Amino acid sequence: MVRLFTGLCLVAAAVTTSMAKPIAFADGTTVMAEYGAGTMQELQIFYAPRFDYSVGGGHVDFSSDLDGRTEHINYARLNWLAHRWNLDDAQANVFVWGGAGSVTGNRFEGTRVAGNAGLQVDYETRRIYASLKSDLQRSSVFSDRIDTLQLGIAPYKHDYGNLATWFVFQARHYTGELHSGIETAALLRLFMGGAWVEAGVTNAGKVQAMAMFNF
Amino acid sequence: MKRFQFLLAVTLFTVATSSMAATIEMTVNGLVCAFCAQGIEKKLKKFPATAEVVVNLEHRLVAVALKDGQDIPDADLRKALTEAGYTVKAISRSDTSIADVRERIKQAQP
Repeated sequence: MVRLFTGLCLVAAAVTTSMAKPIAFADGTTVMAEYGAGTMQELQIFYAPRFDYSVGGGHVDFSSDLDGRTEHINYARLNWLAHRWNLDDAQANVFVWGGAGSVTGNRFEGTRVAGNAGLQVDYETRRIYASLKSDLQRSSVFSDRIDTLQLGIAPYKHDYGNLATWFVFQARHYTGELHSGIETAALLRLFMGGAWVEAGVTNAGKVQAMAMFNF
Repeated sequence: MKRFQFLLAVTLFTVATSSMAATIEMTVNGLVCAFCAQGIEKKLKKFPATAEVVVNLEHRLVAVALKDGQDIPDADLRKALTEAGYTVKAISRSDTSIADVRERIKQAQP
């Protein structure tokens, strides 16, 4: 059973994952900041004119655990909600995104053009949450992809205006020689109103944290 | 004649008040998180006729309290919820106050 569960997690992580949505709601602004155990740090801001797309940009830093390589990317991005299923007590979404930007790093000279693309599939009720996300950053000198699986469970059903509490398991796979193997993390997620924070530790004992604000 | 005028006035008043709902209640699919509620609340508050909005995830309920003498057509409500990314399953109107709706929700909490 443990082997089966591990296998499913590995398969899911290989496809990719995530959790927070790149589009919160129509006419809403989303600000997200993530600290990814020292391997990646990202700041994003998006505005959604409609519920099914948002535009914005971000900055991401990669720091390889394996060879000391670093990359610093600024990008503009379009997020699109490709499909949503509104069920009686659940919601499922497919998001895709793409954009372009510039990158600097310690293994090449000057500034290069970089492109990014990604996909997120999620399903949530008020008690369970699952998401798979894959985010690719690519240029002429590197190709880094982060695949993330998140599985969450809420100890109680929250309602609007009340504090929501989630326990989340995360598995993350980095390509591009950023990190070796699957990085796992146990996270505590809290949100209320338009504010969302989560924090935890990885299997290597490093801090993993994220904050998001919607307004 | 005076009696007839009085009865006519009462009848007209009754018809007017009964056709002017105080609260609109909608059953909505896909309501699972606070961000969903936040987006819906923001959207519905843009209607000039909206006095107040209550969203309850447990009952998949979105309630709109109307300003005196005003209304929002069903088609506009459906359009607003669809544009917010959600699916309206049912719409009903009543003269229940939004305070009573809140109390009913509170009483029905598991």
